[in-house]
Parts: sequence; C-alpha cells; structure tokens
Amino acid sequence: MLHEISLTINGEAYTVAVRSHQTLLQVLRDQLGITSPKRGCENGECGACTVLMDGLPVNSCLVLAPEADGAVIETAEGLSKEGELHPLQKAFVEHNAVQCGFCTPGMLMSAKALLDRNPHPSEVEIREALVGNLCRCTGYLRIIEAIEDASEQV
Amino acid sequence: MQPFNYYRPKSFEEAFQWLTKSDHIAVPVAGATDLIPQMRDGVLGPDIVVDIKALPGMRELRVVDSAPCCLDGTQCLSVGAAVRMNELARSELVKSGWSLLAMAAASMGNEQVRNRATIGGNICTASPAADSAPALYALDAMVLIKGPSMDRCVPIAAFFTGPKRNALQPGEIVAGLCIPRPPEEAVSHFEKLSRRKAGDLSIVSVAVMALPLGNATAWRIALGAVGPTPIRALESEGILSQGWDDESIDRAAASAYGCCCPIGDIRSGLEYRQAMVVNLTRRAIRAVLAQLPATA
Repeated sequence: MLHEISLTINGEAYTVAVRSHQTLLQVLRDQLGITSPKRGCENGECGACTVLMDGLPVNSCLVLAPEADGAVIETAEGLSKEGELHPLQKAFVEHNAVQCGFCTPGMLMSAKALLDRNPHPSEVEIREALVGNLCRCTGYLRIIEAIEDASEQV
Repeated sequence: MQPFNYYRPKSFEEAFQWLTKSDHIAVPVAGATDLIPQMRDGVLGPDIVVDIKALPGMRELRVVDSAPCCLDGTQCLSVGAAVRMNELARSELVKSGWSLLAMAAASMGNEQVRNRATIGGNICTASPAADSAPALYALDAMVLIKGPSMDRCVPIAAFFTGPKRNALQPGEIVAGLCIPRPPEEAVSHFEKLSRRKAGDLSIVSVAVMALPLGNATAWRIALGAVGPTPIRALESEGILSQGWDDESIDRAAASAYGCCCPIGDIRSGLEYRQAMVVNLTRRAIRAVLAQLPATA
C-alpha cells in the first residue's frame, strides 16, 4: 500500500511516496539518496542506521516508512553547516576516531543526541549512550575521546 | 520484508475492524522493535499491520486515583501501552514513585531501541526474559486489555502464559497497565545479568522490593529468564517475611533457584544460570536491605 508522507530531513521539507513495508532506512538511502545511515544488521543491534527522529536517536531500520510522516529527521549530512564541520565531526577527524567509517554516521548521531541532552557527559555516560553503536575497527577509545573533546566545544 | 498494508487507526473500533478482518493476518504494532526483526526472520508474516500508537490513552503516563484495573482507593500509575521504555526510565514521576520500573526499563536494549520500544510491546512479545517483567510482577501490575466485544483486566502474572505467549484473544489489544503505588517506605532493587554489560538480553534478572508495614516487612521477589514465564519467588518471599539474617538470606536465595526451571540456551548453560539465579537473588536482597533504615 502506498502512503504519501511529508517529513523534514536536515531542515528541508520532503514529500515522498512510500510503501507500508519499507523502512525509514530504505527510504532515506534508496529513494532520497541520503546514504550516511548504513545497512548494518537491520535488526536494531548495531546502530549503523542511527538517525535522529524528533530529536531522539533511533534505528531507522526499525521505523516503518509511513510512521515517519510528520517527523523531523537529522542525519550526518546535516551536521556540517555552510561547509563548516560540526565540532563532533572535527573531533572525530582530529582524534582519528574513523577507520573504515561504516559506524561513524551512527556514532555521530548518537553522540549529537547525547550532547543535546547532556552537554558534559562523563566517560561512563558516553559509553552508555553508545551501547547501541558497534564498531569493529577502532576499539571505541578514540571515539569516546573525540566525544569528550567535542563536549568541551559545543 | 514481505509486503503488508499499514493502518494507523484513531479509534479502537477502527483498530478492531482491521485486527479481525477475515482471511487476513493482522498484527498490532507499537515500537516495531520486535515486529520488524520477527518479520525478517519469517516468524511473523502479517498482511495487515495496525499501528496502535494514535489510539486514545496509548501514550498516557500519569498518576490516577481510580481507573479500570486499579483497586479502589489505591493510587496507581496509569501507563499507556505505547509509552516508550526511555520515557519510563527517565520520567521523574516513575523514578520517584515506581523506581523498580524505571530501573528495569533503563536496562532494556540500547538507547536507540529504548526510544521506540514500548512497555506494551515488551509484555506482548512475552519473552521470559522481558526486561520490564520482574518489576511489573513485583509491583503487582494489572494489564488493561481492550477487545472487540469487551474490556478486561488481567494481573500481569496471568498475562504471560508461556514462552512468547500472552493472554490476548484474537482481536484484543493491550491498552495499558495500571500499577499500584508502593508505600513511601518501600525499597527496591533490580539486577540483570547478561553477557555484555549492557545492550543484551538477560541471562537472569531479579527484582526485589521490601515493604515495611509496621513491625513486619513484606517482600516481593520476581525472577526473569529462568522459566517459561517470569515468576514470583513466593517461597523466598515467605522466608524473608519471617525475618532475615545471613542464614535466612542464603536460604531465600537458594529457594529462588528451587522455584523456577531454568534452561540452557544460547546465552547461558544450565548450570551457570542455576548458580547465578541464587547469586543475583542474594545480591538483590542485600542491596534492598542496605537501603532499609537500620532496625534497632
């Protein structure tokens, strides 16, 4: 069944026809070319598909497309403003917190959501916020350091 | 995923129409955090999915003095079925008055899942390891069920009927939960053992609450992931209500193992689980005792 949904993505208004059984992840990547959210496990365990939906980090692989009607979505594409990287992005670069980069968009969105609700998180709070974002490359330490660093800038 | 049609009714009548449509397989959806993985695994193959989040009362979280399923004269927390786990975990109301539920909700899944997963979905999936269940059992929660022909109230212990089986009849929806307020002096603790420190299903979980009542103390001990459903460790509760010292605490913990029937599975071998249910129960009892005012 087709649904026409209207949603805001990174500040821009979209109206798009989606099918009942598509997920928000599929719509973002396959229909709208917004490819920073990644297909990892598609089961809500790895966090590679993490986007902010109405300010909250969610697994876009577990959101049915029609549910996104009226939602405000933020992805990593929306983090930089006018060519200037977000403090989180800068910190990830400076701290070498990116290797293959597959987990990175999800990590950035989870981190942004954390700093939005807790501007100065402890290391434990950062780790807890990232429980749902798996990384196979970095061992997490530089990601955590990058977020700590960014929390001092934001 | 196999195609289906998605509907988002605004009224229960409309919801029941879709859920009972003949020659169709219809399921309700709330957070979709269990539904979508189950559909990908081929466990469920509905052709109609009914989003219940827009139904009246489904997103409600407030204290009520009387409600269906609430005992007269008791203040209850009325929780709509579509209230999210992070909403419960972070609500000042829940943390102050029903802290066991807040602790249990916070232990579930991960941040992203908790922002979508709902308490109604958690009990409807009815995993024996459901994270909210030991808390709901210890708090004597009541489940409000709405159906095409009638509404009914079911105690939480009767709602879980077997592994991944619940008491819903065809067409019925869980509308919410009614959880009596524990007395001010009540003290509680929740323990969850899993392979990872967080973000994993439980191997064993324990919820313990002590309710000081004058000279005596009543105890509630509920266990998760160690039986076909969550259970109350009634024998352990009885032992502690007689009084406690090191010996009776050990007996109560040992009896917790005796009252349930754990299995070995992908998360834990049988012997480990049996040993851990004793340890976790003892740990939770001691954590509760540490919060009780010292008795003379």
